[in-house]
Amino acid sequence: MLLECIRSIGWKCNITRLITRLKEVIRMAAGKVPVKAVLIDLSGTLHVEDTAIPGAVDALKRLRHSNIPIKFVTNTTKESRRCLYERLIGLGFELKEGEIWSSLWAAQDLLRSRNLQPMLMVDDAALEDFSGLTDFKEEEQNAVVIGLAPNMFNYSQLNKAFRLLLNGAPLIAIHYGRYYKRSDGLALGPGPFVRGLEYAADCRSEVVGKPSSAFFQSALGDTDPAHAVMIGDDVRDDIGGAQALGMRGFLVQTGKYRPGDESRISPSPAVVCSHFPEAVDILLKECAQSGGDL
Amino acid sequence: MSLLKNSRIGGVLLDITGVLKDGGIAIPGSVEAVRKLREAGLAVKLVTNETQITRRTMVSCLVNLGYSVQEQDIVPPCPALISLLQHENLRPHLLVHPNVLPEFEAIDQSNPNCVVLGDAGDNFTYENLNKAFRILINMEKPRLFSLGQGRYYSDSESLMLDVGVFTAALEYAADVKAEIIGKPQPEFFRSALRDMGVVPEEAVMVGDDVVSDVGGAQNCGLTGVLVRTGKYRPVDEKHPTVHPDAIVDDLAHAVNLILKSRK
Repeated sequence: MLLECIRSIGWKCNITRLITRLKEVIRMAAGKVPVKAVLIDLSGTLHVEDTAIPGAVDALKRLRHSNIPIKFVTNTTKESRRCLYERLIGLGFELKEGEIWSSLWAAQDLLRSRNLQPMLMVDDAALEDFSGLTDFKEEEQNAVVIGLAPNMFNYSQLNKAFRLLLNGAPLIAIHYGRYYKRSDGLALGPGPFVRGLEYAADCRSEVVGKPSSAFFQSALGDTDPAHAVMIGDDVRDDIGGAQALGMRGFLVQTGKYRPGDESRISPSPAVVCSHFPEAVDILLKECAQSGGDL
Repeated sequence: MSLLKNSRIGGVLLDITGVLKDGGIAIPGSVEAVRKLREAGLAVKLVTNETQITRRTMVSCLVNLGYSVQEQDIVPPCPALISLLQHENLRPHLLVHPNVLPEFEAIDQSNPNCVVLGDAGDNFTYENLNKAFRILINMEKPRLFSLGQGRYYSDSESLMLDVGVFTAALEYAADVKAEIIGKPQPEFFRSALRDMGVVPEEAVMVGDDVVSDVGGAQNCGLTGVLVRTGKYRPVDEKHPTVHPDAIVDDLAHAVNLILKSRK
């Protein structure tokens, strides 16, 4: 690493730059890159159903004192940003609605940034996140967005989506889940329908939720992933996904965590900790050691 | 138009939808073309993955369009599937078009131990797909049969999703690999040719599906000809893996080519 560092600045460098870069490299090697953004998963990390993880509300407050920008990231197919916000406020967390970055929100962000006019196959409750994007006529539509919309997963709607795809419309998937648990048993998720349409139109979908790199990058904005941390309970979607982009993943042992999860991905999580408050303590200690500068 | 490399042609397999007819209309020149093939002494079979109607209904539909065909000229996937189900003592859960349910009347469907997908059309509802999915996911060794694996077909100028799409969906959902009955399965082509007494090297397949008709036939040793009718799209001519032996405007052109290529 030292050699690489010296090579990267060249031999005729000035000594101050070398020392600054060396400091950075030593911190990196010790897992102490200055943190410039923290992404936090919701369900299983901050709360389980309607109960906050013990100590999580206070831990979030402490993290805020560090002034590191925070985003709350979650995969959801039907809960709008406002709905997620109200639940977290109700549990006592302090946050702004604008700090929530869900897979639905990432989808509308992508549509707006590319100026697309979608056919939306999403739950009615999710439409709130797509204001201004819901009323395009069939002949105006040039993108297909698939969330979880059982009442639209039928032959005639899927045919409409397929014809758009054949005309070159991008296929945007909120996520790629195979199935989910419904009160009466297992039920098909969006994934099978996305897969079917990919086969029909011989195209590939863009998955906007975790674990896609694009999702984490869109939540981070301009921040370098090497300077960002993801805290979550899902070793593949939260930790594996974030680390694939170059972030550091902090796996918490709450929510859906099962013993042995930490060895299910390679490289393994940068940090494994028992719960969100401990993750915050580790982060804050790192910040103190790096002096908060850089 | 360059001649087919194959000069010893004894039999011709034709796809129906998109080659003989599109929706309820005969494709111009096709009725005459089929007649010319027969007059030239070539054996002709109609190989179709059509599973929305029975063979009998298909015959009357084609006869109404001016074709001279009989039931034994048509090779659909249902009979092959039914003999397989009987042979292996399988009790299917059927997700097929209501029109073809009578074909399965003799088959025990209680307490299903496999799932059969056909081109169910509007019967592809969420709840019906869910029912099939739950049966698969609860099986120790799930078995899924698919009548063809087409992506889409042309119906009166609009393209409609075909069974393969829903097969791909259930394969992914239940983590199972479907067993295909029909084109492009090699055995399907072979059994049609056996009936005709023609070897694959002396047979031509004409279809509008570059993968299922042309690619499937070529994999079996047949000559594969793609027509620019039905579901054909210009991108099909640049298919990354399938290179048709000939690409022609329609069946009439295909037949002229076949007859000229014969020695």
